[in-house]
Amino acid sequence: MNEIVRVERVTRSFPLNHDRTRNLVSALNDASLRVEAGEFLAIAGPSGSGKTTLLNLIGCIDQPTSGRVLIERVDTSELSQTCLTDLRRKKIGFVFQTFNLIPVFTAAENVEFPLLIAGVSSRERSERVAEALDSVGLSARAGHRPDLLSGGERQRVAVARAIVHRPALVLADEPTANLDTHNATQLIDLMHGLNRRFGLTFIFSTHDARLLEHTDRIVRLCDGTIQSDSQFQSEGLNQGGIREQVLASSIS
Amino acid sequence: MSKFLLLAFRNVFRNRRRTFMTLLMVGGGVTGLLMAGGFFAFMISGLREHTIQEGLGHLQIFTAEHFKRDEVRVLDTGIDNWRQVAATVQAGSHVRGVAPRIDFYGMVSNGSKSSVFMGAAVDPVAENSLGFTPRIAYGRDLDPRVGADVEALIGSGLAKSMNVKVGDGLTLLAVTSDGALNGVDVQIAGIVKTGYDEMDARYLRITLASAQRLLQSDRVTNLVVGLDSTANTDAAAAALAPRLEGLPQQMVLKKWIDLATYYLQVRNMFVGIFIFLGIIVFFMVLMASVNTLLMAMFERTREIGTMLAMGTPRLWIVALFMLEATLTGCLGAIAGVAGGNLLGAIVNASGLHMPPPPGLTVPIAFHVLHIPALMIASSLIVVFSLALASILPAIRASRLQIAEALAHV
Repeated sequence: MNEIVRVERVTRSFPLNHDRTRNLVSALNDASLRVEAGEFLAIAGPSGSGKTTLLNLIGCIDQPTSGRVLIERVDTSELSQTCLTDLRRKKIGFVFQTFNLIPVFTAAENVEFPLLIAGVSSRERSERVAEALDSVGLSARAGHRPDLLSGGERQRVAVARAIVHRPALVLADEPTANLDTHNATQLIDLMHGLNRRFGLTFIFSTHDARLLEHTDRIVRLCDGTIQSDSQFQSEGLNQGGIREQVLASSIS
Repeated sequence: MSKFLLLAFRNVFRNRRRTFMTLLMVGGGVTGLLMAGGFFAFMISGLREHTIQEGLGHLQIFTAEHFKRDEVRVLDTGIDNWRQVAATVQAGSHVRGVAPRIDFYGMVSNGSKSSVFMGAAVDPVAENSLGFTPRIAYGRDLDPRVGADVEALIGSGLAKSMNVKVGDGLTLLAVTSDGALNGVDVQIAGIVKTGYDEMDARYLRITLASAQRLLQSDRVTNLVVGLDSTANTDAAAAALAPRLEGLPQQMVLKKWIDLATYYLQVRNMFVGIFIFLGIIVFFMVLMASVNTLLMAMFERTREIGTMLAMGTPRLWIVALFMLEATLTGCLGAIAGVAGGNLLGAIVNASGLHMPPPPGLTVPIAFHVLHIPALMIASSLIVVFSLALASILPAIRASRLQIAEALAHV
């Protein structure tokens, strides 16, 4: 399989608010992770465990304090802001906890936006928007603005927006946090279906243990540290083993 | 691009109350500028035509000598054989008529009191044919018939000073072209108001023939040319210049704008006031808009973060905010132009008058001209102001830290 994400001994620290002594608080400590193309991976952990920080780093919308993040074997720390923007536009799709749809755009226009900024032609945009909305079962709601959609529908529009430009990787930060159990389960199943159908790599964070049974692989975070990885657990490796695996593969 | 424009347009109407207030402010600024500018333009235009019709004419012809030196004797720099010059000018294009004039001065006496006067000698027929009619308060205009009694029109201030009325007699004393003192008795045909108090205190008008008899000269000071339209001044002047070159005396052609010193001063003053008002409106819109746009940016922080996360170039964010501000400016300008024209039409229909300004004796109509160039200029001021106001919020929006923006509540 092709490696799509590699996180190598990444630490991310933030200065404490209003602290003149410049004390730092660590949101992520020495985390290492490797994700292969086509995986459907959940990052689980309680609030404040570092899930969002890890996703932000993988999504190239934040920079690590130390360590490095590679997307398709490209070290993102060596890329300029313009290249990072290009990388996000072409390779990554985002789904957010609060949907983050553009309120003045219809569902179809929201889905169209990534294609618009990618410079895709009008005709192709129309076709791909229709396909994406169809794949999330929202063709009939294409002309509705977000305020006329239910929470579950909004998040499905967000998923359609995240996959419409055919990214290599979709990152979803707590996509089910604002949904009821039924809609949450449906959304996870929808993303899993897209993962299987199109071979899209999904990494999503959640603190809802009930959703984890729908995933292929679970990485557990606690206090900024990766506590366990179901993939390596099944192979009989501990956390130290994960780091060694990643480092060994980076050397090779 | 059309979707980008659509996004900007919809964002303008996202918070309708705030947009309405912004449009009210921008539109109000444009309306204010149009009202002030339209009124100033009316004043300037009125003063221009008034200046021309009061006797300045569109063109004036003098001898070149007139501007080279002061007269040693009366009319020694005047136009000889002025009828030939007048005939030459009359044949020019756009020329409606030619009126000869003599400017002179002297003493006026009622037997018990004397005063200085500034005299204007005219051909009443020629003057009337050009529409140069004196503003007569009492009595009538000069009798143009040759051989009639020597008559005079005098300013209201001079009449009051000399304690005379229509029908009374006065004696005029002036130095002739030979340097001798000459006198003539005149009967007051009318009392005029020039519109300027200082002028009314010294003004006296007699016929050309009477003045030539008084001054013992056939010359005139200048020829005043009336055209079919003020707009044709430059064309008529260009056509006349070569015609004047073939005359025995070297002549100089002056356009009305070269002689209308007072008009130019007033026009420059109004232009200055309008520029000042424009600057005030510009900064008023600028300051208020920066605040409004910063608020809009703050409210949309997470949305901007989302767009940046999806890979939207930062320049697009700058362009989006500037486009939204420019669209708001355009809409405000349209509203302002509509409001300004409507208000102007109402004011014009109301027939309002303003009290006479210092130096004038007649009230001024409150009238607003609808000038397309003014509408464009006022609109550009507010659109540019809003575009400028959007730069700071646009740059701040484009520089947001994505992770922080996404966490914004």
